[in-house]
Amino acid sequence: MTTVNDDATSSDWDGRYYHVDQVLNTPGPRTEDSFQAGDAVKDFLRNQCKILVIGAGGLGCEILANLALTGFKDIHVIDMDTIDISNLNRQFLFRPKDVGNPKALVAAEFIMQRVPGVKVTPYFGKIQDKDEDYYLQFNIIVCGLDSVEARRWINATLVNMVDEENPESLKPLIDGGTEGFKGQARVILPTISSCYECSLDMLNKPTAFPICTIANTPRLPEHCIEWASVLEWPRVHGEKKLDTDDPEHIGWLYNTALTRAKEFKIEGVTWSLTQGVVKNIIPAIASTNAIIAASCCNEAFKIATSSAAFLNNYFMLIGTEGVYSYTFEHEKRKECPVCGGESLDITISKEWTVERLIEMLVEKQDIQIKKPSLSSGIKQIYFQAPPQLEQATRPNLEKKVSELVEDGGEVTVTSSTLPFNLSLRIKYT
Amino acid sequence: MSQSGSQTIEQATTAIQVDAQPDNKTRRYDRQLRLWAASGQAALESSRILVISATATSTSILKNLVLPGIGHFTILDPKNVSAADAGNNFFLNGYSSIGKSRAEEAVPLLKELNDSVDGEAVVKRVEDLLKTDDGKQWIKNFTLVIAHNLPNGPLETLSDLLWEELEDPPLMIVRSAGFLADFYIQFREQCIIESHTETAPSIRLTKPFPALQEWADNLDYSKVDPTEHAHIPFAIILIKEADQWRAEHNGALPNTYEEKAQFKKRIRERVVKIDEENFEEAETQAVRLWSEKGVPSDIEELFSLEPLTSSSSKQTLNPEFHALLKTLHAFVNSPEGPGNLPMSSTLPDMKTDTESYVKLQRMYKAQSAIEATQFKELLASKYPQLTIDEDMVDSFIKHAHQIKVLRGKKYGALEADKDAISAALQAWPSDTATTHFALNALSILLEKNSDPTTITAETLKSEVENFVGQGVDIPEDLDNAVGELARSPTADLPNTAAFLGGMIAQEAIKMITKQYVPVNGWCVVDLIESKTGIVNN
Ligand SMILES: [Zn+2]
Repeated sequence: MTTVNDDATSSDWDGRYYHVDQVLNTPGPRTEDSFQAGDAVKDFLRNQCKILVIGAGGLGCEILANLALTGFKDIHVIDMDTIDISNLNRQFLFRPKDVGNPKALVAAEFIMQRVPGVKVTPYFGKIQDKDEDYYLQFNIIVCGLDSVEARRWINATLVNMVDEENPESLKPLIDGGTEGFKGQARVILPTISSCYECSLDMLNKPTAFPICTIANTPRLPEHCIEWASVLEWPRVHGEKKLDTDDPEHIGWLYNTALTRAKEFKIEGVTWSLTQGVVKNIIPAIASTNAIIAASCCNEAFKIATSSAAFLNNYFMLIGTEGVYSYTFEHEKRKECPVCGGESLDITISKEWTVERLIEMLVEKQDIQIKKPSLSSGIKQIYFQAPPQLEQATRPNLEKKVSELVEDGGEVTVTSSTLPFNLSLRIKYT
Repeated sequence: MSQSGSQTIEQATTAIQVDAQPDNKTRRYDRQLRLWAASGQAALESSRILVISATATSTSILKNLVLPGIGHFTILDPKNVSAADAGNNFFLNGYSSIGKSRAEEAVPLLKELNDSVDGEAVVKRVEDLLKTDDGKQWIKNFTLVIAHNLPNGPLETLSDLLWEELEDPPLMIVRSAGFLADFYIQFREQCIIESHTETAPSIRLTKPFPALQEWADNLDYSKVDPTEHAHIPFAIILIKEADQWRAEHNGALPNTYEEKAQFKKRIRERVVKIDEENFEEAETQAVRLWSEKGVPSDIEELFSLEPLTSSSSKQTLNPEFHALLKTLHAFVNSPEGPGNLPMSSTLPDMKTDTESYVKLQRMYKAQSAIEATQFKELLASKYPQLTIDEDMVDSFIKHAHQIKVLRGKKYGALEADKDAISAALQAWPSDTATTHFALNALSILLEKNSDPTTITAETLKSEVENFVGQGVDIPEDLDNAVGELARSPTADLPNTAAFLGGMIAQEAIKMITKQYVPVNGWCVVDLIESKTGIVNN
């Protein structure tokens, strides 16, 4: 590993920050009074501020470079992935020789080599490996992830971490995301402004094909691919797990889907489509990532320096037809399971079984809980794990909810993937 | 699935054939090919881009063009790397680059992003190139020219040069200072076949082609068994219901809210057992009947558009596209034709069984092939001397419902038009235009005196008042813009540079691939408010 370049002749040479210093030396017409122009703000930014970047992929690479150039010198980065050839069209800190290596390590190395005096500390692993103490050491957290699950986790963790007695426990979270020519950047002040969970219903609903279509009435090439991956793979390969990064596995799915498509006279099964469907590939380009990452880093810079007001709180960009953007304040949801505090009212039929309720929780756009476990007070309704408890509560799946929970009663929903509880108030029609 | 059926599939796939796996290049570009496909990629790969200056903004733009794989880039810059450049530009080698040519230092660091892209540094002043015929011709030979913070004098000369001939390359003008920026694309005409707009093509529910009509006519609800009933495609249901409605309403389709509601109610009443998803789908898709137009109004408008013609050479711009457009007009009006845009062969999914869907899909494909042939015959008879690439013709036919034509204006058109200035200042939100005009003033003042300490909010403001002219109200937002520019008149902030790097590259990709729709007018960026806006020309 290269170490931080501390050479006095190369670090912080005269005029290094000529550009950034223009906005740090003088306030603008809209700058707030708290701005400490000059040495104080520069000292904080360059010598004290500690910032965490989550994700070293499409957004992460850009975020790291921008933060380093603007003068953040103590940067940490977490990423659990290794570099794939399909990353190279946008993740500009990686070269073909890096394929297979951990993103966090390669990215950190590159930044330190290119921008002298900046220390980037990588962690190759999951965000869930780290505890509150770890997250408490940072001033700001910037998140460039493509996984909804991971974002919900970090969001909930940071909201839960807020201790009213300790203002230092409130960590601004800046979150970016892109899809093709579209993207968004937002600033979340945990417990104060709308959180990631509050806006879950704004996500595009992933396309799900009904099992009966896949099994009995395929019409589209996608149906054949889903058949190959969801039904045929487990039937033929048993316990062997499908690895969507393994070309042999994709090859098998492709051939299987193609054969089925031929049988049903359906056209359009290709390798690329097979990969797209099974990996749920989202188109991604360098330019959109650059815009969104720049926006995230610009907010981080404004928060760290107070040189200008930061975004309140959502910036949305659509670049398919001209340049259209929309900046607005996304409102907190009072029944948000993470930051809201009020329970969510759910009205269902008295005839609904527990299983039907679980199906709804999985599908509902503002909830989206995979594998939920349900309890009401001390009563266990259904638990996904451990196996003994699952077995003991399984008979309840067939029962009507109304037999287990009274009208207006509370049901607590938990899931091992999410660090929070959702509380529902059940009403019957 | 029967056991034997699955067996065949297993046998067929025991010998795994991975030869269909894409090559390295396709894998590398996979995430972008899903947006602009091989045709867009080919256009990018044959493009040659000139970028004037190697500032942080310029190299950010280039980074986002080299990564997706343009063919070639040239950086034109006479300057050496300053201490400030070494601090804010990621594509320089930090301290060790100071004093060396900025273009020559940047080029290798950009090239290493993508082996298939070529690049060169030209250490010259654009002002000098603009003085010689060779220099001018050299500039005109690029696919696209991008200039960041080029002083107004040479910028105007460059803009004039690239407005001489119709086929001169587009010029992208980018200006930034601190948290504020704007950019403009000077181009004559952008003809877009694949605009990727989300408007769905007509599936001919109001004017079914014969095979489709026949299916609907032959369908007797009372004679199909319950399984079949639940599998009638919504298109057939809607055609049948529409026919009946028209028969009872003097040939008219539902028009008022009440009529539409009644029409939907009829569909609901057709349901014989619960969970007939095809009828549910027909009810939600009924909107197609009253929104489906033979020719959408924006396409209709294009029919009256005359191609741009050079006064000197009598050559027209984009002759192939305009020939296709004229043919489309003739096709729509042709008595032998369907009276519609030619059919796009893409059919939406419908809740039905495989057999019906495949049958329907084949009908649409067959009809679309018939109409494509009609279109091509018409094209050949109207333009016998013109050879147009077959792929382009097919793409035009397929995307006829989403074609777009943009006509641009020369750089400076807004400032030359007092009414346009006044209209821009009255538009909402008012800070879009004030920021743009403040950036104009900054560029004028810096050209007169390059010492940034001479820039103040007052000098900027009076410069704006000067060219806006008397009698035009200037919104108070101007104070914010001039104050911000006076604070950081020459700052090329890394975040602003990166933001513009993304925006300009994105627009450049749209211009080069002729896919998606680029900005027409000034796009203004305010990274204090974290927003963008457009000043229309
Ligand atoms: Zn919330």
